[in-house]
Amino acid sequence: MTKTFQIWRRNRTLWITLAILIFLFGAAIRGMETKDWVITLLRGLSVGAITFLVASGFSLIFGLMDVLNMAHGTFFMIGAYVGWTVFVRPDTFIDILPPVLIAGAGVALVPLWNALLPRLKLGIRAAKVWPWLSLPASGVLLVMALPHYPITKWDPGDFANSPVQNAFEASQGILTLKQPLGFEPGVSPFLVIGGILLGSLLLGLSIAGFSKRGQAGVAAGSGEDVGIPLKASLLSLGLLGLGLLIFLFNDPISGIVVALDRNWLFILAGIVAMLTGVLLGAMMEITLIRPLYERTIYQIMLTLGLSVIGVEFVRAIWGRQEFTMPRPPIFDGTGAGCPAESLADLIQYHCSTISVFGGRVRTYNEVFVPILGVIVLIVVWLLLQRTKLGMIIRAGVQDSDMVEALGINVRRVFTLVFAMGVGLASLGGLIGAPSTGLTTNLGLSLLINVLIALAVGGLTSYPGAALGSLIVGLLQQFIIKYGQLGINLPFLDEPFKPTPPLVPATTVLLMVVILLVMPQGLLGRRE
Amino acid sequence: MEPLLELQEVQTFIGQFHILQGVSLSVPTGTVVALLGRNGAGKTTTLKSILGLTPPRQGKVILNRREIQHERSYDIAATGIGYVPEHRAIFRDLTVEENLKIAERKKGDLNRKEALIFELFPDLYRLIHLRGNHLSGGQQQMLAIARALVADNQLLLIDEPTEGLAPVLIEQLIEAIRQLSAETTVLLVEQNFIVATHLAESYVIIEEGRSVKHGSMKDLVKDPDTVRRYLEAA
Repeated sequence: MTKTFQIWRRNRTLWITLAILIFLFGAAIRGMETKDWVITLLRGLSVGAITFLVASGFSLIFGLMDVLNMAHGTFFMIGAYVGWTVFVRPDTFIDILPPVLIAGAGVALVPLWNALLPRLKLGIRAAKVWPWLSLPASGVLLVMALPHYPITKWDPGDFANSPVQNAFEASQGILTLKQPLGFEPGVSPFLVIGGILLGSLLLGLSIAGFSKRGQAGVAAGSGEDVGIPLKASLLSLGLLGLGLLIFLFNDPISGIVVALDRNWLFILAGIVAMLTGVLLGAMMEITLIRPLYERTIYQIMLTLGLSVIGVEFVRAIWGRQEFTMPRPPIFDGTGAGCPAESLADLIQYHCSTISVFGGRVRTYNEVFVPILGVIVLIVVWLLLQRTKLGMIIRAGVQDSDMVEALGINVRRVFTLVFAMGVGLASLGGLIGAPSTGLTTNLGLSLLINVLIALAVGGLTSYPGAALGSLIVGLLQQFIIKYGQLGINLPFLDEPFKPTPPLVPATTVLLMVVILLVMPQGLLGRRE
Repeated sequence: MEPLLELQEVQTFIGQFHILQGVSLSVPTGTVVALLGRNGAGKTTTLKSILGLTPPRQGKVILNRREIQHERSYDIAATGIGYVPEHRAIFRDLTVEENLKIAERKKGDLNRKEALIFELFPDLYRLIHLRGNHLSGGQQQMLAIARALVADNQLLLIDEPTEGLAPVLIEQLIEAIRQLSAETTVLLVEQNFIVATHLAESYVIIEEGRSVKHGSMKDLVKDPDTVRRYLEAA
């Protein structure tokens, strides 16, 4: 009895706030027909799910490392563009693989350098200077070699081969294999590939050198025998071999991928988008965030700057024009038997729409996306609650120094979580792309939603990220719907119709109200 | 006797504050050494400097004849140092079991040490599935010590274990630490002089970031002048 009372007292504000939100939701659906509010609810869930994919990573990173990653939205956008490339232009994707894999082979050797360098017993001055020498050398080599590697690509300036047209063709189910480009005359493939490999090796060397600099003089005295890291060497060899293999058999591999079932291709696109995010995230954490852990303002400036660079980078490659992302065929059926009236119909005809209470619900956006959001929610939750890694993350959110004092390499966990968070955002970009389309300002608008969702739900709370995303998604969609229907207010003659600019304003308003009542957010921890 | 741990003129800065200005001490294998001194003298920072949580800028930290002052904290800890921080810093969001499990360095550490841990702190067995933030202060302190026992540690750094605890609990803790010290070496920070005299064989006094006096605990008890000068509230 007293215990129930205590739980009630401790979370009084939370319960009251939730009750008010549920009451508002109830009031909101009273003014609508059943089909309208069901569809609006599903749309809200969809927007909430996409927001959550980005918000969860953002909040994990902030909770564990106190880094506000303002570039998180940009990774969402990059995920969408990368996934689009795999799905719509698989031939281009295959062309890009060899240089990326070969460059990766060079960088993957960093652990080997870390093990070998101490044995060289370089003088202090040499150890300080050579990372600075090898970095520009690798830059020069890569800049010289990479542009000469032939990549069959779209051309934003040429309409027949623009991303817009490519996307249209793909949505019609036409994937044509474009005439592959060869090396320019007079350019030796060996020189180009060798240049990429050498450049990346030098890059790896300088990374190893820079990371050693922080602990100057360690290696000199200890004289300990560090074994050759076999895994890293094998990984590097594997990447190199795979890269060369794809280079040699480019045409047949492209043929296979283009002929691949489009549903599988979509899954492949998701995996590639996520892996790109994981790699970019890991690289960003190791090279840029790590030196700035103690300096919050610099981190915010750095990540904001990166987000601008990311947008320009995407514009340079994919062009400024907006284009669409086709849905995977399993959610794109039309014609006979559609819109689906029952689950059996849906499974048989793969309808793009389902008929619910006389209204039409889009299968991909309003059914698949929310389900996927829930799956990710559960998987990450299980990871946090049931694994040793999750245990370390939860402990690290509170006190990362103490975790380190237990003999755990927290830095490695930081990198992992950063990579994972960015990977989730990139995956979210691809998942959202069929409904949002591809524009370069995708990231910024989403980031604002994410920040609001986290402020509402509680910045470092994982359930809070889910709840906040859900509330923001629902609120936005209901306001949009009322923009069409109008709200009958007793003191107005005509129904009040919220205009589109009011949509973001309402979420901000909600955030202000909740932060005034509960400064730590709905599920955040009181400091 | 060969010391397990030795500090030579350790100097540590936190930000621009020169916290440790020369701390030297030595902890012989198998003994309990008490680190004494007033509030703010640098006792906690000394422990953190040993672990590399606040890395020393100058001086040497030698563990088992190996210099460790430049190594990363997790490497230092993994050589076999258990740390019980002040203010009962257990992980609040983890259950008692998880708090212990996270300290495993090898698979099965917890299984092997279970008997010892629950014999020392039978309460913890009862609370195994409770989350850290639901434990009382005394239980949290016991958990913090138990956590340091999970892995095979040759040295325990214990920071103010009895701070803010009821006398009954303090007695229980003294008993537990005494049992532990039969098997491991302990460097103990303790404000409560009586507790320190019960546990430690020798002492080191730190004042304003310097180690100023050391010797055997028996002599210190007979030397009220030193106690008054360095340890009683100014």
